[in-house]
Amino acid sequence: MSSPIRRRRDGQYAVKLDPSVRAVLVTMSEQLAPVLSPDDPMTKRLFPPAYASEIHASSERDYRDLVDNALINHHREAFTLMAGTAEADVLTDAELNAWLSAIGAMRLVLGTRLDVSEDMEPPGPDDPIAPEYALYELLGQLQYLIIEVLAAELPDEGRPEGEL
Amino acid sequence: MSRAAATPIRARQTETAPFELERTELDESQSTDRPWLVIVWNDPINLMSFVTFVFQKLFGYSKEKATKLMLDVHHKGRAVVSSGTRERAELDVYRLHEHGLWATMEQST
Repeated sequence: MSSPIRRRRDGQYAVKLDPSVRAVLVTMSEQLAPVLSPDDPMTKRLFPPAYASEIHASSERDYRDLVDNALINHHREAFTLMAGTAEADVLTDAELNAWLSAIGAMRLVLGTRLDVSEDMEPPGPDDPIAPEYALYELLGQLQYLIIEVLAAELPDEGRPEGEL
Repeated sequence: MSRAAATPIRARQTETAPFELERTELDESQSTDRPWLVIVWNDPINLMSFVTFVFQKLFGYSKEKATKLMLDVHHKGRAVVSSGTRERAELDVYRLHEHGLWATMEQST
């Protein structure tokens, strides 16, 4: 069976997904886009600290002032683009990258809320978090498929300037 | 779909940097010559394949090098993924944050 997401000869991507999955992508995008904020407990994980140490507290404040709006816009644009193309059978490279970004952000939000951890056992069917966990897993599978097709376009040998 | 392939990077999400004590007496403004290091920390959500992909895409690293860095993050809890001036490091941290990775920066000792 071929992957539901594959690169076409014209460089665009064919996407075969169940309508129910597409509907979930729209719903989640529309729920998250308006609440994106470093101060919102649900989306806080999308705004990690740049400085781990307390002694750099003022640098951290400067960093937040500098980037938080840009991060909000970045995620909002990805959610908006994905919601707008969720029904499409063919995506451009930019659109598929927006999907990857939006789905990744959704997983971070859900995973934080579910408090996923090392070696977490999947919840049983009667567990109240089971539906949300299933969604988290579904998004992980979708993200994995997108990475597979996008990573195939990156040169294994890297770019010439790509040295540490 | 392979579960193994979709295994998240696993880790202690709340872990903090272990090197604070060595630097507490240093004023941030004192030495500007030492490079800044960009560090990616383990987290339990991001997929291993995603972390490798981001290292390749953002830094132009080979698949081999990106994979090694990802495995360092996975097994050791953190890895230095780039270094340079403070401005450069801050930009790299920002680009990693755009991709949802847990990245911080610190001056090398």
